[in-house]
Amino acid sequence: MSYGKRDEDADGAIVRVDRTAVFQEARLFNSSPVSPRKCRILLTKIALLLFTGEKFPTNEATTLFFGISKLFQNKDASLRQMVYLVIKELANTAEDVIMVTSSIMKDCQVGSDIVYRANAIRALCRIIDATTIPAIERIIKTAIVDKVPSVCSAALVSSYHLLPVSRDIVRRWQNEVQEAASGSKSSGFSLGFGGSHSQSIPNTSYNTQYHAIGLLYQMRSHDRMALVKMVQQYSAAGVVKSPAAIMLLVRLAAKLATDDPGLRKPMVQLLDGWLRHKSELVNFEAAKAICDLPDVTDGEATQTIHSLQLFLVSPRPVTKFAAIRILHNFATFKPDLVRACNPDIESLVTNTNRSIGTFAISTLLKTCNESSVDRLMKQITTFMSEISDDFKVTIVEAIRTLAIKFPSKHASIFTFLSQTLREDGGFDFKKAVVESMFDLIKFVPESKEDALAHLAEFIEDCEFTKLAVRILHLLGMEGPKTKTPTKYIRYIYNRVVLENAIVRAAAVTALGKFGLSKDEEVRSSIKVLLTRCLDDVDDEVRDRAAMNLRLMAEDDDTASKFIRNDSMFSLPVLEHQLVMYVTAEGRDTFASPFDLSKIPVVTREQADADERTRKLTSATPTLKAPSMPKTTAQGAAEAAASTAAAAQKYAAELQKIPELSSYGGVLKSSPVVELTESETEYVVKAIKHIFKEHIVLQFDINNTLPDTVLTDVSILSTPVDANDPDEAAPLEEDFLIPVSQLKTNEPGTVYVAFKNTSGSSYPACTFSNILKFTSKEVDPSTGEPEETGYDDEYQVEDLDLGGSDFVVPAFAGSWEGVWESSAGGEEAAETLSLTGSKSIADAVTQLTNVFQLQPLDGSDVALSASTHTLKLYGKSINGGKVAVQVRMAFSAKAGVTIQIRARSEEDGMATAVISSVTG
Amino acid sequence: MAGLFKRLYDWLLRMFWQTELDITMIGLQNAGKTSLLRVLAGGEFTIDTIPTVGFNMKKVQQGHVTLKCWDLGGQPRFRPMWERYCKGVNAIVFIVDSADQAALPVAREELHLLLEKPSLDGIPLLVLGNKSDLSHHLSVDQLIEVLDLKSVSKREVSCYGISAKEETNLDAVLNWLISRSAR
Repeated sequence: MSYGKRDEDADGAIVRVDRTAVFQEARLFNSSPVSPRKCRILLTKIALLLFTGEKFPTNEATTLFFGISKLFQNKDASLRQMVYLVIKELANTAEDVIMVTSSIMKDCQVGSDIVYRANAIRALCRIIDATTIPAIERIIKTAIVDKVPSVCSAALVSSYHLLPVSRDIVRRWQNEVQEAASGSKSSGFSLGFGGSHSQSIPNTSYNTQYHAIGLLYQMRSHDRMALVKMVQQYSAAGVVKSPAAIMLLVRLAAKLATDDPGLRKPMVQLLDGWLRHKSELVNFEAAKAICDLPDVTDGEATQTIHSLQLFLVSPRPVTKFAAIRILHNFATFKPDLVRACNPDIESLVTNTNRSIGTFAISTLLKTCNESSVDRLMKQITTFMSEISDDFKVTIVEAIRTLAIKFPSKHASIFTFLSQTLREDGGFDFKKAVVESMFDLIKFVPESKEDALAHLAEFIEDCEFTKLAVRILHLLGMEGPKTKTPTKYIRYIYNRVVLENAIVRAAAVTALGKFGLSKDEEVRSSIKVLLTRCLDDVDDEVRDRAAMNLRLMAEDDDTASKFIRNDSMFSLPVLEHQLVMYVTAEGRDTFASPFDLSKIPVVTREQADADERTRKLTSATPTLKAPSMPKTTAQGAAEAAASTAAAAQKYAAELQKIPELSSYGGVLKSSPVVELTESETEYVVKAIKHIFKEHIVLQFDINNTLPDTVLTDVSILSTPVDANDPDEAAPLEEDFLIPVSQLKTNEPGTVYVAFKNTSGSSYPACTFSNILKFTSKEVDPSTGEPEETGYDDEYQVEDLDLGGSDFVVPAFAGSWEGVWESSAGGEEAAETLSLTGSKSIADAVTQLTNVFQLQPLDGSDVALSASTHTLKLYGKSINGGKVAVQVRMAFSAKAGVTIQIRARSEEDGMATAVISSVTG
Repeated sequence: MAGLFKRLYDWLLRMFWQTELDITMIGLQNAGKTSLLRVLAGGEFTIDTIPTVGFNMKKVQQGHVTLKCWDLGGQPRFRPMWERYCKGVNAIVFIVDSADQAALPVAREELHLLLEKPSLDGIPLLVLGNKSDLSHHLSVDQLIEVLDLKSVSKREVSCYGISAKEETNLDAVLNWLISRSAR
């Protein structure tokens, strides 16, 4: 007896559980008679191992499993519970688990002790396989409507797990589940009956409702109407008492509102009602749901913001935290609305709970306007030292966004960043600060000198090799362009003397870039420094120094080409091609070396533009709503990001067409243009691919007519000069690739290629398109098309080819600079009113989409509702700069009136670009 | 009064000389294992038993002896698992449907396959020809012949004809099982 007691009480024994020892001990299960207490302890050990992540190999798990099955039908109720608990966990790894089905079923039936009945049901659903589910159907059905909550919940949760195994059978239990969800059974009822040997547990938590609604949703997830009915039925007051269950309904309502615009209004009304529910859980879920709705309007969100504001002054920290967190996310794309809460949020900044404080400050950073930036910065500085690294990173990210948003405030932001950089912190934190500075240098040119100086100082005592290398690279890139390059040379050379080999090598490369300087004095000192590096102990450092010296000695521009490489390979394409090459099937692929010339080369400016869009669209510092639907109001940045991916896809598709190989690489692919309504019989979409001297139109055709096959599908595409219809078209058809057969809902692609015969490299024209095909009926009995069909034509909408098809977005540090520098070229202007736009912001997104240019200086975010200037920049496919300025004014009566001015280096480009709006 | 004493005596026996025997009941599907166990445990015979998925366990109390009976499923997919449950038991009961002659060759094969396993050496075997109430059932001698029980060596083998439905010969079965506890 005493031995057993020690075993049970000694904490150490349980903690030091070892898998092999437990497995050895498991022989205990086979002893007869069973000792419940010892077995329970052993089972607890197994459970401990399983729950702490230990994995039993399959053979051991199987042995254990069958050992445990010897313990069935023991009188000790807790042992039975324990047995089921462990069986449930072992069921995934052990083999032949189906063996215990009959035995467990016995314990699931009505009349068995409720103490272990729930456990038995949960274990049962884990070991069952699809073929035996019909056998347990009746058991589960009765358990779902059982009056004991634990049994009912167990049955519901089990059904949830069984649903993917056998959907049809589980769906037959809908009525029972509905009964459980509405919670119509009264808890007092069972007390009157002494029939069951259980003392009934009154149903106070209504947790079964939560499980039942979760299950109902899974059952009906494919039937939207049923879901709508379900939400409406259960949202009535008092039907569902469990807050968790209502929370599920909130999520469901939000999903419905997102999926179906028609349901949005009633669902938002429901959500609004839940904002006033008595449970905070429901309030927060509803608030979050409304804030996350795509394109949430101000009217929909005002009520939410108001109720969240009330929570901000709640005495409970958890409530405050939840509220500020939702507001923080919401402030990312609707700062104006959240601004109303600013007084309350400001009082939270000094909250003793640092998590609340951090969220408060970063919310303020998002909602603040230019004038309050300075004050905020001061406030943040006071508590920066008190918070942990993670929070510091959050704040620094927020400030980075702020810097891109308000370039004029760079001075105070910069002071703050340099101060934080001096503080102690881990790698992630320092990295965030350094990256923010990088962004400042890149996107806010005014701050370049200061930032470089600070970074140079920072590497003096930077303990992170990675950061030092990156900063050295940046100094190498930017340093030579500054007024006093010698200052940086000193900093860089200090690294050569003091640092480890990796940093030394980076420093040598950076020095090499200074060697291109026009200043003879700088060149000579670099030469001296590099010569000294030749004696370095590390070979990489020596190699780099030697190469840089050699390049400096060259007379021609090899050095400048090599060292100051302004263009680089398009990295995503390079990666894709390399993967294709390495994973090629045939051996003969490796006979020829990898062809680097196939990889498009992008300029550094283009890469910068891509990077900026990525930064603005990445999860943390966004300026746009996170979940915008694709079709409406797509942000220009997102469009650019998706076009990059699309261009890669098109390029791969076009490469497969042998006729196109002589055309060279694709210079530009347009976004998809729909030439028909999406619900017509034949859906046609077009994409314009621009080559150096050719234009290829890609028509994606989908036949939506059931039981018909289209054969010999082609597109008769006739180009007409846009400016003068009587003129000969500037394009001449080269060839056409038809589709031989189009079955129902199996899209096919027709290519039509044109050669540019006009003198201009930017021919503007309109294509009139006629779909030609032979339609054949499909015999429903055989599925084969009939022999004869009839020829048919189908007129689709015209396709315009304009200036914007020949430009790609590009990035420049300052739009003003580009605008001034392109003053010498062509200039065109136009004034018109956009009747289709409801607001300035709407017009901005529309115009950036139409022009397909990069918005600069943060002008893609309209700050005022009445006037705005959109600054766009891009490059033509031949590399000429194109800058566009759009001034807009909004009045409720006339809509948006815009004045466009475009400048281009190449002749004809500016007019062509403007005509893509007017035409 | 006598009944009371008898109960008291039984209770005392159970208290001090309680023994537990592990018995495994195997056999092809539809031989009547589950029904037999139910009747042995004192239940009613029912005609429509659902096929056992895996196994059932029931305890049968007889005097001071508790028989822990493992009734294993007879469908082909459970047969490989018989051995696992036969290891270390006090007796194996192999039940055949003595009226289903077509199934007997399979039964013989399965039985001999199982008895060959070295882990089961020396475990006593009781073969029961169930459903003796049906008219065309085989007699015990015929069963011994068909199942080739004579060739089984190195273990105790007995063969009875029984009927779970009419409860014939069940006492003999129980006595045979209980007598395993004596040694």
